[in-house]
Amino acid sequence: MAIFQRNTKVKPALCRTGALAVSAALLRHKSAGAGMAIIWMLLVMALFAPWLSPHDPNEQDLYHVLQGPSRAHLLGTDDVGRDLLSRVLYGARISLIVGLLSTLTATVIGVFLGLVAGYKGGLIDGFIMRLTDTVMCIPGLILLLVMAAALGPGIHNIIIAISALGWTVFARITRGQVLMVRELPYVEAARAAGASGWRIMFQHLLPNSMAPLIVASSITVGGAIMLESAAAFLGLGVQPPTPSWGEALRVGYSYLEIVPLFSLAPGLMITLAVLAFNFLGDGLRDVLDPRLRGEGDKIK
Amino acid sequence: MKPESTEKLLEVRNLCTHFHTRAGLIRAVEDVSFELAQGETLGIVGESGCGKSVSALSLMRLIPNPPGRIMKGEIWFEGRDLLKLSEGEMGRVRGNRMAMIFQEPMTSLNPVLTIGRQVAEPLEIHQAARPDKAQILCGELLERVRIPGGRKRVKDYPHQFSGGMRQRAMIAMALACTPRLLIADEPTTALDVTIQAQLLELMKNLTRDCGTSLILITHNLGIVARYADRVNVMYAGRIVEKARARDLYSRPRHPYTVGLMASVPRLDQDVKCKLRPIQGQPPDLLQLPGGCAFQPRCGRPIEICRIQSPLLTVASENHEVACWNPADYPKEIGGEHALTS
Amino acid sequence: MKRYIAGRLLYTFVILFLVSILVFILARLLPGDPIQAAAMINMDLANQEIIQDLRIRFGLDRPLYVQYVIWLRDFISGDWGVSLGSGEAVFDMFFKRLPVTLELFAGSVFWSCLIGFPLGILSALRRNTWLDAMVTATAITGVSIPVFWEGIVLIYLFSVVFHWLPAAGFVPFAESPLGNFTSLLMPSFVMGTHGAGLFARYIRSSLLEVLGQDYIRTARAKGLSEKAVLIGHAAKPAMIPVVTVVGLAWGYVVAGSFIVEYMFAIPGLGRMGVDAVFLRDFPVIQATLIMTAVNVLLVNLLVDLIYGCLDPRIRIQ
Repeated sequence: MAIFQRNTKVKPALCRTGALAVSAALLRHKSAGAGMAIIWMLLVMALFAPWLSPHDPNEQDLYHVLQGPSRAHLLGTDDVGRDLLSRVLYGARISLIVGLLSTLTATVIGVFLGLVAGYKGGLIDGFIMRLTDTVMCIPGLILLLVMAAALGPGIHNIIIAISALGWTVFARITRGQVLMVRELPYVEAARAAGASGWRIMFQHLLPNSMAPLIVASSITVGGAIMLESAAAFLGLGVQPPTPSWGEALRVGYSYLEIVPLFSLAPGLMITLAVLAFNFLGDGLRDVLDPRLRGEGDKIK
Repeated sequence: MKPESTEKLLEVRNLCTHFHTRAGLIRAVEDVSFELAQGETLGIVGESGCGKSVSALSLMRLIPNPPGRIMKGEIWFEGRDLLKLSEGEMGRVRGNRMAMIFQEPMTSLNPVLTIGRQVAEPLEIHQAARPDKAQILCGELLERVRIPGGRKRVKDYPHQFSGGMRQRAMIAMALACTPRLLIADEPTTALDVTIQAQLLELMKNLTRDCGTSLILITHNLGIVARYADRVNVMYAGRIVEKARARDLYSRPRHPYTVGLMASVPRLDQDVKCKLRPIQGQPPDLLQLPGGCAFQPRCGRPIEICRIQSPLLTVASENHEVACWNPADYPKEIGGEHALTS
Repeated sequence: MKRYIAGRLLYTFVILFLVSILVFILARLLPGDPIQAAAMINMDLANQEIIQDLRIRFGLDRPLYVQYVIWLRDFISGDWGVSLGSGEAVFDMFFKRLPVTLELFAGSVFWSCLIGFPLGILSALRRNTWLDAMVTATAITGVSIPVFWEGIVLIYLFSVVFHWLPAAGFVPFAESPLGNFTSLLMPSFVMGTHGAGLFARYIRSSLLEVLGQDYIRTARAKGLSEKAVLIGHAAKPAMIPVVTVVGLAWGYVVAGSFIVEYMFAIPGLGRMGVDAVFLRDFPVIQATLIMTAVNVLLVNLLVDLIYGCLDPRIRIQ
């Protein structure tokens, strides 16, 4: 795989077995290994929730509301008597779907705009870059709240809103890479020789920009999960009765004194998820981009 | 030539500095001994990576630890063994009795502090000069190292200085407290040739005026020939030849020294006479060969070279060489540098 | 330096202008126009003729760009409209709540520095030890932990379990300085955590980079003690890149203030913004968005200026 050729000097194993070797290197990286473990756990939770859950997450039991942990309900019950453990397990679905989907759309939008900006240059470039500056100067959560208010709550709108905020990072990375690749002698030479600019750009761009894009994606997934839960915590996210960690946190917060687990457990899951993707991003940066390692752990 | 003073300023005995790296142990300086008299100039020559800079940093006890460590040896300076001093006592030696000038003038000055602050600092630390007075002295120092308008440039920042001027500022800083010993580690390598000569002249004059001894580290044999009284040639962490500069040039004994001389163009040499670079690669300190480290590149190896490393032995008066089969002169005096063939 | 400052100022104004356009468009995206929204709250207005009258009075029948120019002119002159919820002038609401939020900002910056600086310096000086690893893990956790969960955990510990601090509410300084202090202790800590983590990480890497520079060796060669080298020669160049982190982290602090003020029932700007979103109170939402951008841009401008002052290579050209 071309992506890893740059690392030949540092870890010769990388270029031979590609993705597998990266995974191996990640597992050796302490924090990235921990991150991957948590992400696997979340994936298992989301995929196998129906089999893992002791109860139907939406089954209400009004005789047993707001109960502490017991044999029947390991984490207790919520305000309408639903089993908390089951809801926490199912909650992984919303967080992962929102996190992954919105990052995917954000990446597509960002890479596209970055390509256009870097390749076309001039006014279009100026416009796109000023647009990223503009979006970036209003904190994501606040824009998200306003957009959630404008579009209405619900998972689709949350994904749209987060994508509409998250693309800026990818646009910047891609544009930077395009500008760099453009100046490479062989690209200029190929263009002078009449080869299609776009094709050559893509050929050289992809391997160059993959590493920073993957790192940024991982961190964006964490950020998206955090934003989704924050919106849900403020009552603007996924609507009940869909099990969601942020929503559980919102309701559970009012019962903190009676059943602390009601809010503490879903909150812990959100924290773990965000932490896992940040750890993974950190590890990916170290493994994929040895150039950055010398600079310590700057976030670019 | 200066009269040889009998008083020893510096005596280094069996100095070993090792670096413990992930790749393995690097014996950067191995069993190095030499001495230096008051007012004398000693040249240390060798390829990059031969241990010259590490020896210099060891004298100042500035080896970064980890990975580096001075494993053993004694450094007698002004009657004290520097390796036995506490960090605080050593601090009073550095920049005061013994100062150092580094290779990279562009990066050796702090970009966010004024030249005045940096040059005057040794005065403030070691002579308890008040800051305002130190600034005035600093202006004088800058004039002494011939920085045009020196007094007015005390408030300037390094980026406003050219490379040559920065190195002049470094010299001013090093000489601020009139140290007894100045160590110059490739002081002019990064500079233009014309500026090189000016700076070396300046350094020579200033150290002579103050009676300061100078250790001049360089890979440039021309510089050593011109400025040094005595020369140590280093190879792979060891001193392989020690001699007066004159003697070393007229009759180099170690095949490595001979090779170095043959690879440098000389004005007094016939243009048709070809330069002979030394064969092979500089040594990999992680994988030194058994026996003499130079033996794989040597033009005149004998049996024992592969087995045992030679020790420095006196070859003639004031001339020591570490070689089993050194170049001989009596019959070859004035001969071509064809000794390796 | 003058050119540098002029450049930064120009950039700030360009972005502010773009923000105003973005906010204007976003506000039009909100369902229903403001008059209808007002009508929903105030039933007296629920008369089509009156609504039409108001539309014309507020210029909502004019083309969009005219509306924008009028709106921008009014906004700059301090006419930020009237809250649909409370009927109060938004401008007055904003400046009434500003001190509370500023106090919270100050507290969070204090916490960030108090925790981030020592941790970052410590882990740089003890690089590659277990202490360094601990600090790095703590820092990533601090950067990752969601504000609302950290808030809940702290409330649970310090209010529910130990009863040391109030779970929510705000006491003005004039009323009781001590009450003011205790009521802001937890909220400002929660807001400062992210910054503390960022500071610790950036200070570590920046200090490590500086300590490896040649000029640090020069300083040591002068006979300075390690402490003097650290304070006199390493601190300033290491701080220069760290200053930019303030700009990076500020967005998080501002966003955090929205959640924290909501959780802890603090009557500041964040709470006002969240309430406005619930009520679709669009004049307040507009003002909140613009002033948030002004806030972030001002802080970034300040960061750039401090950066320029600290770095003589920019200050003296």
